[in-house]
Parts: sequence; structure tokens; C-alpha cells
Amino acid sequence: MQQIERGHQHPLTQMIAEINSIFAEIGFNYASGPEAETEVYNFDKLNVAKDHPSRDMQDTFWFKPKDVSEPMVLRTHTSPVQARYMENHKPPIRMIVPGKVFRNEATDATHEAQFYQLEGLHIDKGIHLGHLKGTLEYFFSKFFSGRTEVRFRPSFFPFVEPGVEVDMKLLDGDSKLAGKWIEVMGAGMVHPNVLRNCGIDPAVYSGYAFGIGIDRLGVMRHGIEDIRDYYTGDLRFVNQF
Amino acid sequence: MKIVHSWLKDYLGESLPTPVQVEELLTFHSFEVDGMEEVEGEMVIDIDVLPNRSSDCLCHRGIARELASLLGTELTHDPLRQKVDLATTDRIVVTIKNPEACPRFSAALLTGVTVGESPAWLKTRLNALGVRSINNIVDATNYVMYALGEPIHAYDADLFAQVEEKWNFVIRNAKVGETVSLLAEGGKDEDRVVELTGTELLIVDGATDTPIGLAGVKGGRYAGVHTGTKNIIIEAAHFNPTTTRKTARRLGIVIDASKRFENEPARDLIPYAQAEIVKLIVDIAGGSFEGWVDEYKETKVNSEVVVPVLQVNALLGLELTPKQMESLLCRIGATIVSTTPDSFTVTGPFERTDLNISEDFIEEIGRIHGLHNIKSVEPEVIPVSEVNVRQYYSQAICNELIQVGFSELITSSFAAKAEIQLQNSLASDKSYVRSNLKKNIHKALDANFTHADLLGRPDIRIFEIGTVFDKTETSVSEHTAIALGVRTKGNGYHKNDDVILMTACDTVEQQLGIKLDWQVEQGVAEANLSAILDTLPQPQSYGEFISKTPAIYKPVSVYPAMSRDIALWVGEGEIAATVESTIYQAAGDLCVRLALFDIFTKEGRTSYAFRLVFQSFEKTLTDTEVTTHMDNVYKVVAEKGWEVR
Repeated sequence: MQQIERGHQHPLTQMIAEINSIFAEIGFNYASGPEAETEVYNFDKLNVAKDHPSRDMQDTFWFKPKDVSEPMVLRTHTSPVQARYMENHKPPIRMIVPGKVFRNEATDATHEAQFYQLEGLHIDKGIHLGHLKGTLEYFFSKFFSGRTEVRFRPSFFPFVEPGVEVDMKLLDGDSKLAGKWIEVMGAGMVHPNVLRNCGIDPAVYSGYAFGIGIDRLGVMRHGIEDIRDYYTGDLRFVNQF
Repeated sequence: MKIVHSWLKDYLGESLPTPVQVEELLTFHSFEVDGMEEVEGEMVIDIDVLPNRSSDCLCHRGIARELASLLGTELTHDPLRQKVDLATTDRIVVTIKNPEACPRFSAALLTGVTVGESPAWLKTRLNALGVRSINNIVDATNYVMYALGEPIHAYDADLFAQVEEKWNFVIRNAKVGETVSLLAEGGKDEDRVVELTGTELLIVDGATDTPIGLAGVKGGRYAGVHTGTKNIIIEAAHFNPTTTRKTARRLGIVIDASKRFENEPARDLIPYAQAEIVKLIVDIAGGSFEGWVDEYKETKVNSEVVVPVLQVNALLGLELTPKQMESLLCRIGATIVSTTPDSFTVTGPFERTDLNISEDFIEEIGRIHGLHNIKSVEPEVIPVSEVNVRQYYSQAICNELIQVGFSELITSSFAAKAEIQLQNSLASDKSYVRSNLKKNIHKALDANFTHADLLGRPDIRIFEIGTVFDKTETSVSEHTAIALGVRTKGNGYHKNDDVILMTACDTVEQQLGIKLDWQVEQGVAEANLSAILDTLPQPQSYGEFISKTPAIYKPVSVYPAMSRDIALWVGEGEIAATVESTIYQAAGDLCVRLALFDIFTKEGRTSYAFRLVFQSFEKTLTDTEVTTHMDNVYKVVAEKGWEVR
């Protein structure tokens, strides 16, 4: 009788476990929340204007009004968990949310209707963009196993102000990623309206938030070319990891 | 937004940086630059203006003003800082029925114009933007929109039904079932007649109540400018961005004018835009300006904002002095109304409708100064204060199942048919959300078993831990489920599947220390984890994470694989690895997997049995092609003196 060959863990949950271990070192709690989310948490609490285009039918999966007691969506980002967490915890808050999110858009090699996002949030007295930069450099250096530099460019998201686009550069090594700037995520200082909506006084506390696609981290690190491969249930894919 | 580099010179004069410098400045202080190209001698820069700046920067003057802020200089010519002194006329009457949807509407009358070709400089600039030149009047309206960001429409004044020699513009809501004829869209010949639902805003010829345009979205054919036009009316207005966006989306219209209305340019832009176009038309089409009417029902001015000095550095992580902050704010054209030792009271320039709270101004200070000045602060090493139960136990179960040969899948949360239907899915296979995992697991067993040889597995063992959705009496809820599946035979479920499956279910239960309520059918078992997670012991830490070298993914061929077995006698002592590598080399590049599946020794000889799997990235292999490769294997085996059984 042959010995049973080990099975393989899906690359996304492998990455999530690793991301969790990296952030656990610096005190970030792993939080989770519902995938079927209310409009209030997915949009309102996050300062997304009532008439913001992202609420449009073509971007968000809505549940049928007859099925739900209040308007509900398949969450379009992991940010609603920020709001839920802030309501139930007092600062200092350090947390990450890795989780599945959904977008109602046509799929191709770089877009899926479902994908995994990693949300990060740090709220305390005196938190500023320098803390965000340092934390992201710490994370990328660990995740990509090499010294990594981060730079910010101006950006806009309703739930942060200032908002930044984050580029990273792997400084050493011979990987394909090394030595060049790569746009990786959006981030910023949590908008005072979001803090207020979640019961935190923006006059006392400040904090940063960031969101990155885990699927894309895998594309970068593992050379995956088509993100739809994550979800086909095909062992010819999974068993390579 | 496409920007013609040389056009910026109108406003920046000699301070205009080179296209490459413009790209560099904007990228790190303002907006992403999507690309740059030369169009018939003009450098055109494609700028991805951020949503909060689409009110003031979807135009050349806006980008020039932005560059001036970044360079710390002033515009040499600024159309928004000119004194506007336009004569009024009582020959046009404007009636706004819904001031919330249309806070401001202006119309200017010009007489005696000559419609003709535009001058070369104007055609060149529009051409560089990819806008077709039509005639000097229409080109002028487009030009002023791309220059100042205010959409403008021109009408032939003589084609209106006047009442007592007066023109009547009425802006009102559409009636249910009313129709409006819109100008043909790019690439189409025929005008589009649109039936309205009552939520839209219309511009109508008040004399006859005829709709002449869908406010903010698209103009109509009515009173269009033609070669014989002599007298014109120029409209510049402000429409509610939400109404505009909803109507435009419903009708699938996205044109440069509607895009600008949706982003709400400042209401006070209108007189400057009218002054600019009146001057331009008189310059290039002659005629004389008779006067304008400006119906401004609801004013909106930028409010004064208090910016605490401490908050600036506290958010940005910089050490700027109040003097530096003040100077950075002045660079964007903000007015410092008053200062105290602890704060500034400041207002943004009128066209910057995005500056409403202190954080908005702090962002301006940060990006004008330069985000590269922000220094990293290393995070503190501290322990977590809680351990997530779902993550902890999911990982623990995963670790155990992997030990017994199971691989983890993440499948689609959607279904073509299930209990809960979504309201608006784009794709038919995503009409519903899944209510269990087992359906996907069954499908995955079928699909994967055909690859068992390629995977080098005698059977298929898979599992998933994921969210599924439940319909409750009042709403939609969800739970975390686990499902396991086993397939030992190719032709579907076999009772042997359950032996492996039930052992694996036991493994999960042992890991959790609790019995689960499994639903078992046809080699697949599913249970609700959410129901028991809360009853499990609270873990204190996640345990050590063992990192491994990241695997580099190799794409999978879409063509089917073919398997062949070979069993042979070799002398005792001939090790498997030697035999294996000999066969592997003889089999050629198309042999993608070689697995030893049987060994025994008898009378001084050893028998090895191998399975060879052939697959191409280019085509489906034929039996003959595989046989050719196997023949070579037999030949090499014979040369070695090994005997095929």
C-alpha cells in the first residue's frame, strides 16, 4: 500500500495565513464580517455619497428587495468590517480583514466577479501617513522576502482623506518584480465622517486604512496569469502550490 | 482627460514645463498620467483626473492652474480671474421650474455672425483632442468647454418660435411618456428619439413647449446651427449632477458635456465661460453681442474652513511650520481669511468645489509639499489581543486534511440556480448565490477525476471551507460551511468513496473535538461550521507559521492528456531513480508526468511499473503520436537489457 501523498492548501488561504502571521507580529487582529452586507455598512457608514456611482446596479450585486428586510448587497469591499469593528472596539485599534468581495462586472484575466481583498486599519492618537508607510514597507518586505520601499501618490476614495495610491519597489533580488515601481493598492487617512459614523471622535483619534487585492499579490508573487484560475476548482492549479 | 501641451502655454506662458516634466509633476502631486502621444505635431497628454477634481480639472485652464500651484507660480493669463462685464438683454426670458435640478441658466444673444470654417489654430487644437471640426460656432462651444470645463450649447435664434419678439427658455421636468429627439451619436446617422419617464430635466422652447434638449445630457436637433445661421443664442448652465448622471446612465449616453455636468463644475464658472465664448465667436465668426440673461436661482459659495495647525502635521506625519502651510495654501489659490497661533481660516478658490473640510486642505498641503517627504515609522512589535476563531479552526482543519491527501478549493459563490436570486447579475451563471458547497464539490470531483493521472493521484480528495447563503423568514443570512468530496472511480460515485470520506470527516471532528452534523450524499459530506465555532475553546495564539519558498505557477495545457503504463524487469539492485530517469528521457518532452506505481522483487529481479502521461500545449495528441514516443521507450529499455513484462 502506497503512502498517501499530501494534499495542497489553496494559494489564497495560504497567503491569508501568511499575511495574518506577518500582521500578528505587529499586533493586528484578524477580523471577519458578513459577505451579504447591508447598504448601510457597505456604503453609508463609509462616507460613500447616496448618489455615488459605485452604488449603481452595474457595479454592485444587490439582493432582491422582497428577500431582505433592509437593502443588502454582496459586499463590494472588506471595508464594512472596519465599520463593524470600530463600533465594537475602542482605540487603539489594529486590525486586518482578509475576505471575499464581489463586483458585478464582466470577467477577464484580471477581473473576477469575486476576489479576495485585504483590508487594514490602525486607529490611535497621533497616527499619520508615516505610520502607514512604515507598516506597508514592513508587510511587503516580509511578504516578498526582501527589502521593499513604498511611495505614495495622491488619490481619492470617499472613505479616506487624504487618499493615496501606493507603489512598492522590491530593492534587492533577481525576481521579476525587483527594482521597479509597481502600483499595488489604495490607502489613506480614515475620513473623519467614517470615524464619526462609527463612534470614534476624530478630534482625538486618527488612523489609516488600506485595501489590497490578495489575488493580485498572488499574481505578483506566484506568476499566476489569470485570476479566474483561483476559483475554477481545478487541482491542476491548486496542486502547484 | 486629453490635454494639448501647447494649449497650456496660453495660461502658463514661459513657465510651461516640458511634457515629460508635466507628467512627472502631475504623477507625484496630482493625477496619474495614462499616456502621451504626438498628434500631427501636437503633444497630447492623457491625464486620469481624480473624481474629486473632475469639477475643476477636466479642462486646460484647470490643469494649467494645477501646474502653477505645483511650480509655485501664477498663471500669466487666467480667464477665471478676468473682470466679467457682460451687458444684459431682456429679449431672452428664462424660466426655471425646478431650481434644485437647474440652479443656474444663462443665455447670450449674438447677431450677424457668419458661419464658416474655423481658423487653423482652432482646428489643430480640436483635432489633437480627437474632436472633429464642424463649423466655427460649434467648434467655439467645444473649445470653451475644453478650455474652461463649462459645457456650452449654441442655437440658431431664428429657428425658435418667439413670443412678442422674445425668446423663451423653460427648464422643467419631463412628463411621463414625453419624447425628445437627440442629436445623432458618434458613428450614427439618425437622431435618437427618447421616451421619457418623468425624472429627467428638459430644456424646452417656451413658446411652443417643445423639448429642445435633455438638460446636462445631450442636445437636440431643434434650432441647430447651420451654414445659413445669422443670429445665435449661446447657453451655459448648471444642472444637478445626480439627475444628470441618472438620466445619462439610463440612456447609456456618456459624452464630454454630460461627464462634466456629472462632476458639478462651480456655478460661478458660467459668466467667465460666457465672456470667453462671446469674445471667441466675435473674433472668428464676426457679428455682435447683444446681451445675456443670467437666471441664478440658487447660489453656492465655498465656505470658510478652520484648519488647525497641529492637525496638519498630525495627519501627514510632517513637521511643517505654520508659515510653510500658509504658503502652500496660497499656492493653490486659497485665501487665508484669518490666522491665530493655532489655526488658519481659509477658503478655496471658487472653482475648487472639493475643498470643504480641514482634511481637504491638509491633503492639499501634503501633496503640494510632496508625499515623498513623509518618513516611514516602523511598526511596533506587539502581540495580538484576540484570535479569530473562524480563521484559527479553518486553518487547523486544513492542516489535518492536507495530511490525509485532501486539497483545498475555493469555488464560486454564485450559482446558475439556487434559493436566493440576485436582483441584477450581469451573467446568467451568477444569477443566484450558493446555498451550499456540495454542488460545486460534486462538479469539481467530476472535472478533476479526468486529470487524476496527470495529477499523479489514484483518487481525488478535495474540500472547501466557505460562506454560503440562507434565506430566513425576513431576510438573507449566511454561514460558514465545510464540504469534503472523494472520488475513487471515474464513472461516478462508488461506495469505496465513502470509506475515505467518513475517515476524513472523523479527522475533522477529532481536530475540533466535537461531532458535526454531516449531510452525506454520493461521496460528498457537508456540515455547518458556524453552528459550532462559538462552542469551541478560544485559542490563545495562531501558532507558528512555517513559510516556504513561493511556488511559481506553470500554466496548464487546455488539451487532454493520455496515459500509458509500462512494467519491466530489471536486475536486483537497479534503483528506481535510474530506471525512471532513463524512461523519462526516452519518452521525450511531451511526457509531462511519470509515476512509479508498483514495485516487487522475485527470483533476483525487480519489477517496476510506471505510468507515463503525455500532453501537448499545442494540440490534442493522437494515439499514433503517443505510440511513437512509447516505441522509443521500448527501444531504449531493450538496449538497457531490461525486459518488458
